[in-house]
Amino acid sequence: MFAPRRPAAASLRAISRVNSASRSRRWNSTEAPPAGGHLPSVANSSFLKPTRDVALRTNGLQWVDPVDADPTRDMVGRETRKMNMYQAVRDALSIALSKDDTAVVFGEDVAFGGVFRCTMGLAEEFGRERVFNTPLTEQGIAGFGIGLASMGHTAIAEIQFADYIFPAFDQIVNEAAKFRYRSNGNFNVGKLTLRCPSMAVGHGGHYHSQSPEGFFMGAAGIKVVIPRSPIQAKGLLLSAIRDPNPVIFMEPKILYRSSVEQVPLDDYEIPLSKAEVLARGSDLTVLTWGTPVYHCEAAIQMLKQPPPAIAEHVPAAFRGATVELIDLRTILPWDVDTVVESVQRTGRLVVVHEAGRTGGVGAEIGAEIQKKCFLKLNAPVRLVTGWDTPVGMQFEKFYMPDPIRIMDAMVETLAY
Amino acid sequence: MIRPTRARALQILRVVQTRRGIAGIPPRLPELPHGNLPASQSPITSSLDFFNSVTPGGKQIPTYRVLDGAGQPIEGAQVPEIEEALARKIYENMVQLPILDDVLYNLQRQGRIVFYVRASSASYGEEAAIIGSAAAFAHDDEVLAQYRESGVLLFRGFGLDNIMNQCFGTHLDSSGKGKQMPVHYGSKELHYHTISSPLGTQIPQAAGVGYALKRDPQRRGKNCAVVYFGEGAASEGDFHAGMLLASTIPSPTVFIARNNGFAISTPSSEQYYGDGIAARGPGYGIHTIRVDGNDVLAVYAAVKEARRRCIDEGRAVLVETMTYRVGHHSTSDDSFAYRARKEVEDRKRLDNPIVRFRLFLEARGWWSKEEEMALGKRLKTEVFAAYKKAEALPKPAVGEMFTEVYGGQEPWHLKEQREELQRLVHKYGRTWEPWRTQLKRHEGEGREWTEGVR
Repeated sequence: MFAPRRPAAASLRAISRVNSASRSRRWNSTEAPPAGGHLPSVANSSFLKPTRDVALRTNGLQWVDPVDADPTRDMVGRETRKMNMYQAVRDALSIALSKDDTAVVFGEDVAFGGVFRCTMGLAEEFGRERVFNTPLTEQGIAGFGIGLASMGHTAIAEIQFADYIFPAFDQIVNEAAKFRYRSNGNFNVGKLTLRCPSMAVGHGGHYHSQSPEGFFMGAAGIKVVIPRSPIQAKGLLLSAIRDPNPVIFMEPKILYRSSVEQVPLDDYEIPLSKAEVLARGSDLTVLTWGTPVYHCEAAIQMLKQPPPAIAEHVPAAFRGATVELIDLRTILPWDVDTVVESVQRTGRLVVVHEAGRTGGVGAEIGAEIQKKCFLKLNAPVRLVTGWDTPVGMQFEKFYMPDPIRIMDAMVETLAY
Repeated sequence: MIRPTRARALQILRVVQTRRGIAGIPPRLPELPHGNLPASQSPITSSLDFFNSVTPGGKQIPTYRVLDGAGQPIEGAQVPEIEEALARKIYENMVQLPILDDVLYNLQRQGRIVFYVRASSASYGEEAAIIGSAAAFAHDDEVLAQYRESGVLLFRGFGLDNIMNQCFGTHLDSSGKGKQMPVHYGSKELHYHTISSPLGTQIPQAAGVGYALKRDPQRRGKNCAVVYFGEGAASEGDFHAGMLLASTIPSPTVFIARNNGFAISTPSSEQYYGDGIAARGPGYGIHTIRVDGNDVLAVYAAVKEARRRCIDEGRAVLVETMTYRVGHHSTSDDSFAYRARKEVEDRKRLDNPIVRFRLFLEARGWWSKEEEMALGKRLKTEVFAAYKKAEALPKPAVGEMFTEVYGGQEPWHLKEQREELQRLVHKYGRTWEPWRTQLKRHEGEGREWTEGVR
């Protein structure tokens, strides 16, 4: 981390500030979140598990090491601990490293703990041979990981921000994604996982806010996964690391600190390509992933009980509508069955994502749903997304699909 | 000017030491009159002096050579130890390449295969660099190649059938079951990673492979990664990344740059302004050598030593082999559009790596005119038989198109798409002429889809 990105002057300055990000592209993760948290709705979310019992009953969670031959007793003796998302990621990495001697963790600044603290203490615990810094080269990081994985080693690489994954696009799309196919299975890089912080953070501007999952949707051969919470992050990351395919794991960076729940300490997985229904409903399906899960939760609440200031925009007839909320979790290959089953029942679909609209994931899902649910649809599939602009620094509040935009789309879809 | 105090400098050095555990060159105390800056060991100087590796007056990196054009050791050269059996194997492999090349090249010209690039051939200039280096590596060193290095595979015993099945894309294609263009060979058993077209991508991958070898207790200190690339590919960002990674995260990786003077039509003078690829090695802190790539013994000796250093020190080494691409870039290229025919003819006559090595063998009494005649005849017969056999074989079954995209369970969308094509082939496979003709070439002729109830 002492390699200067800018020459002499910057490197001299860096010496006196070990932990502070001196480089323009490095968002300072060690600063405290603003009062009230980055995302107030997360703190009160009913989707986060506040107690051990609730956490252990997480939907779809699969223990990797059964404690008892009797599956009904499998939760006895399991412990949980309160963690935020970066701690849960760290916990997953620690389990992956301790159970698999070939596993290594690498990337820019991971050795001192990472700019988001996701690799805290891992270098000390597992040694610098297994948790190490790379030079500042994203195409190199991806290529290096592909080389390791092609030898059957577990390569867990970090791209510091999803915004900086594009220099590695060639290695990911032309190499990692096609490695198995082009050699007809003689070689594969299934043990490669690329982690990257993604999505908006409130003040990230163009290059600390992006959600590039849509760019990877056409890369047959890779998987793309986005968690919404600490429990999800740990379970999905362990699945991603062990999946026989290269996986891009995008962690919504605003949730690193703001999402907190009781996380089981043992080794568990949450299956990929499985969406989760977070709220049951019969009038409208809302599909999303990552940070907007919480915006959708807030929007559904607003639809039920609109604050007086906006109540006039919510017809009384819709306040009793029940909304089904689905967290897609895996973007590629996505869980079409869960979404189709839901839309067949509700007849209406709103897809919410932070990335811009054109060519986004919502477009792909919308096309597939209108094909599979044409006769059941009572309204057009509606997309609530970022606009087709870069993320303008001072305009973020108007760029993001926030609860008001989501609620408005729900009202319009219900009214269609 | 900022001049750190001595106490400050010491403090900095301590930090550097703890933070750079892997790279691990222990910092020395500054003993220079003006001290040094924290991010380097560079002495501070008061003279304003620019420097450049491309200096006039013959200061370019020298080219290591053992044999002259007549197969005799040049003055001062030490002929590397080599046994007769290995020397003959090297020679036979060198001779085989141009024969194989000629046949495949003509097959492409006749439209019987879709594409071909010369595999480094005798009258075409790179077989010494490829075979000489192949002989210097262990058979289980991991090779990541660009696409002109099939000589390494042949040297390891890949066999002509596997070459032909890949080029024709038959159902017996062991490299990729007809999924890639010709010359994109690969073999897990022979530790030759499957070729891909994007240039330079294999270079940082090789650093990762080297690191994996270093971490594997079974192979640590025994094997290295080998990565081949042309001087054109060295202009890609991935070259920079690969060299940087293998030196900074010490990985036993041998980088072999084949500098044949051209990247398709672009001469190396338009590819770089510095002293070739070799001049870049020291910039990355990598041991580097430049070799006469038309001298198989020089290549063999240099690569053998490169491999030894690479494995002993667990670090990257760079070898630049200087050759001349006598043939066209590929079958899609007519190189006389951008260079003189005479230049090429002169080169072929004056500096032929096969002739050079044959003269060396003959001088040792290891080779004769009769053997030469017999070898040529045998190799031609073998190549001819192999291509005849492959040409008669069907392509893989059409359904293979959808296999090995993902490991594990087939995703729903691929299953749906496979079934959609299946339905269409069932519907139109006997009546839509382009499909009807093509299906006849595939194993089973698509009957699993055209027949049966839908």
